[in-house]
Amino acid sequence: MTETLDIVSFILRILTPIIGLIIVVLCFSSLRYGRREKRALIVLDDSATNIRYPVLYWENALGRSKSSDIRIADPTVSRDHAVLLRRDDGWFITDTGSKAGVFVNDEQTTGRHPVYVGDRITLGMTTLTLHRADDPTEANNRQPLISPKVHSTVPIGVILTVITLYFGILSAEGMINMGNIVILPHSVILICLLWALYMISRLIFKRPNFELESLALFLSGSGVLLNAVHDQRQAYIQLISIALGYALFCFMLWFIEIPDRIMKWRIIIYVLALGMLASTLIIGSSLNGAKNWIVLGPVMVQPSEFAKIAYIFVGAATLDQLQTKKNLFGFIIVSALCVLLLFLMSDFGTALIFFVTFLMIAFMRSGDFKTVIFAVTAAVLGVMVILTVKPYIADRFQAWGHVWEYADSVGYQQVNSFIYSASGGLFGVGLSKGYLQYLFASENDLVFGLASEEMGLLMPLLFCAVIGGFMIYSRAVATRSRSTFYSISACTAGGLFVFQAMLNVFGLTDILPLTGVTLPFLSYGGSSMIACWGLLSFIKAADERTYRRPLPTPQQ
Amino acid sequence: MRNTSSRSAMVLILTLVFFAGLIYHTVNLVMHAEEWASQPTNAHLSDHNGLAFAGKILDRNGVALAETVDQKRVYHTDEEIRRACVHIVGDDSTNISTAVQTVYRSELTDYSFVFGLGMPDSLKKGKDITLTIDSELQKAGLEALGYAKGAILFYNYKTGEILCMVSTPAYDPMNVPDDIETNPYYEGAYLNRTLSAAYPPGSTFKLVTSAAAMNEIPDFRTRTFDCTGSVHIGDDDITCFEVNGTVNYQTALCVSCNAFFAQLATEVGAKKMTSYAERMGFNSSVTLDGVTTAKSVYDMSDASVSELAWSGVGQSTVLETPINMAMISAAIANGGTPVKPYFIKSIGGSQKNSASLGRKMMSRDTADTLRDMMDYTVKNNYRLYGRFLNHDVCAKTGTAEIGDGNAHAWVTGFCQNEDYPLAFAVVVENGNSGINVAIPAAEYVLDRAAALYHQQ
Repeated sequence: MTETLDIVSFILRILTPIIGLIIVVLCFSSLRYGRREKRALIVLDDSATNIRYPVLYWENALGRSKSSDIRIADPTVSRDHAVLLRRDDGWFITDTGSKAGVFVNDEQTTGRHPVYVGDRITLGMTTLTLHRADDPTEANNRQPLISPKVHSTVPIGVILTVITLYFGILSAEGMINMGNIVILPHSVILICLLWALYMISRLIFKRPNFELESLALFLSGSGVLLNAVHDQRQAYIQLISIALGYALFCFMLWFIEIPDRIMKWRIIIYVLALGMLASTLIIGSSLNGAKNWIVLGPVMVQPSEFAKIAYIFVGAATLDQLQTKKNLFGFIIVSALCVLLLFLMSDFGTALIFFVTFLMIAFMRSGDFKTVIFAVTAAVLGVMVILTVKPYIADRFQAWGHVWEYADSVGYQQVNSFIYSASGGLFGVGLSKGYLQYLFASENDLVFGLASEEMGLLMPLLFCAVIGGFMIYSRAVATRSRSTFYSISACTAGGLFVFQAMLNVFGLTDILPLTGVTLPFLSYGGSSMIACWGLLSFIKAADERTYRRPLPTPQQ
Repeated sequence: MRNTSSRSAMVLILTLVFFAGLIYHTVNLVMHAEEWASQPTNAHLSDHNGLAFAGKILDRNGVALAETVDQKRVYHTDEEIRRACVHIVGDDSTNISTAVQTVYRSELTDYSFVFGLGMPDSLKKGKDITLTIDSELQKAGLEALGYAKGAILFYNYKTGEILCMVSTPAYDPMNVPDDIETNPYYEGAYLNRTLSAAYPPGSTFKLVTSAAAMNEIPDFRTRTFDCTGSVHIGDDDITCFEVNGTVNYQTALCVSCNAFFAQLATEVGAKKMTSYAERMGFNSSVTLDGVTTAKSVYDMSDASVSELAWSGVGQSTVLETPINMAMISAAIANGGTPVKPYFIKSIGGSQKNSASLGRKMMSRDTADTLRDMMDYTVKNNYRLYGRFLNHDVCAKTGTAEIGDGNAHAWVTGFCQNEDYPLAFAVVVENGNSGINVAIPAAEYVLDRAAALYHQQ
């Protein structure tokens, strides 16, 4: 009997990565083929030169500069002359500080001005007429533009069924290995949660897609089950965190739906982010050397996790704002304050994440290498000063690159992770049968090693591929999103996931020093899980299909 | 928006770095998996169940020294053989880090990277490991050492097979004593002293001094020396056991005249002495069957003249491992170059080792001269005490003072019998007499070897 069960568990273990791979391939291919084809929404027609400019994006930079989306070779046009942007209630043009001004039907505009099919837009000596892309003869038909075509290649039901199967296999294997059914409630709740969240998304919010959420649930669910076989109580907290995370995800999607509304809230959010960090510093508690916890009755919260979301808010901006207000001065001040506060909390891992997030946002906003190089130089100098003042911090990096020499001290976690990853092979020794679980912080810092040992190397690699895939997807939708706000915030959120995963995995595998940050979606930690879902909403929002709805009829 | 999109390539680079790092880790893991998985601290292997499906360990005659019966590891039925073999075979734990059950646990348990240690028990197929050792000779070795701490190593200098490798104190792997960590008797019980311990070699080192002197001092073979019982070198007196009178190189080794060899060492000089010692295996370790031995040490870099003189008779800071001592004797027996010793014959049916020459230690001429000197010593000294009467043996003893009034007893040499061409090294801690303690131990094993292998 035991022998048979052993073999069943072994077969399930070999099936796990195969099914996992199917889930990942289904989700990403569905995301890829479900995208809008790249085609012009409207065209701008220059009757003097007979040049037709296709308008490809939701926000388009008009100007003489090479990098403009619509480049007009007219010396009277400024380099960054104007932004033509699309909102739910139609198309608008904004003069972004041009010398010659922007005229619509010969009337000079200030601020954001609506434009309709047939309108004449004059920039310097150039006059452009707005046409519909598909049929320029209908020039007089003043109608809003059509919404993009949406089609899905893989029915969501199929994806969810495969994920359900995956959770089922994983739970069955865990229960066989443990010889009891203590994780049965976890797996039932998990599967219910999967379908319930889909129903909410489909029926209440009427969102056509669920692939991103499916991938995030695939990761979070794997984390829950991996943890459930060792600590059932923690796994319940993780399940609750997923539900709360999804609530935050939905709230965020609602909150950032209208790009121009976000801009008004920026100052408040920025004060909120700093306030969260500052209050942690004042009333926070220390755990494992970093003062980054706030205790609220029975609940412990890590505000720095949520500050990440707020920080991206502050950093990202719509294109017309990027064009009008070019200096990064205010943003640099906010960033420096955040990093400083994190340093004071001794939360160096998060400080590093903020710094890299800053670099990503700063570069995507300005495209300026000088800012990046300057910031990196400043940071290196800062770190050197800190190491001179607090030399003991350098001890943490002592084992880096030669952990085997420190196998009994500072290299203990890495060495054990190597030993037990090797023991796991490609398919693992089985859920609950590992030994890394007995190490300190096995369910968060060491989760990559824990998964390698119990599920085999293929699974954590697949998890990392999904995290990297979030980033690649964010980039793929960068020009298809409804505003540069979404492009920037999605790429930054994706980059943040990747960087955080990098610190976690590379720290454990001795490629980088061990910093003790969590692996997105997989590590145990309520704040971290909720914040990951919050960050995911930026990527979700970048997909224009998320907000697909009938467009309102325009006035006039 | 195109601008933002093209700038986001920077973030994409981060992702590519992430993937590159994951690939690096995977390659690293695949390359080191076996080494990492077989770390002694790996609880999958060192827990009680780690050997539940492991293969057998057999001696050269197919006698099972360890095997798994009904998922339980059992060892040889004879308790003495179990104790004698514990340092080679190991126990259920991985406490003896050089033992086969520790070093080769992944082979015994059939580790492969693809399935790691995750194969279901019923599908595991552990490999059998056949050793070159002879369990009967092991038993003899253990009996020869008795309650003393020490090491005995016998290996075939023509094939390299180790037939007997015993280290004491030993213990029974099926009844590991509760007080093994605390009882002084068991101090160093997890150490295989033949491979992992280094002792002052005493007079056995005179073989090295002789090898250096006969090549570096032109009148080595013709000079005579008047031993007055001691000689003043530097700021110290190098003393002999007795006044040896007039000696030459051959008689000096025979009576083990310290004054003579101390003089030679100072004449050769620290640099040349070190270079000869290093050719003969000092200051480096050898690796046999996955075990890296301790280093024999000859370091005269900061030594005074008197320390150099003492080093010539194997005192001062000189340290020697039994395995290297046996290899020096094997080199002498073999015309200057030893055959590398090994103790694993085959793993899973495929041959692991065969006779292969090690690094050349000395010229043939040097080897032949040393053999004659050792032969002369046996015939004109040890046999007068009734030692080695039944064996054609060339040997040299040592009584290495360790400073507390005690001395480690050594003997090294080789047997010139075609049936059992064995080179050996024996050390008995605090044995105090090479001739009276170390030789009888060696002879005890040699007698058993003769009985087992003669006319075979």
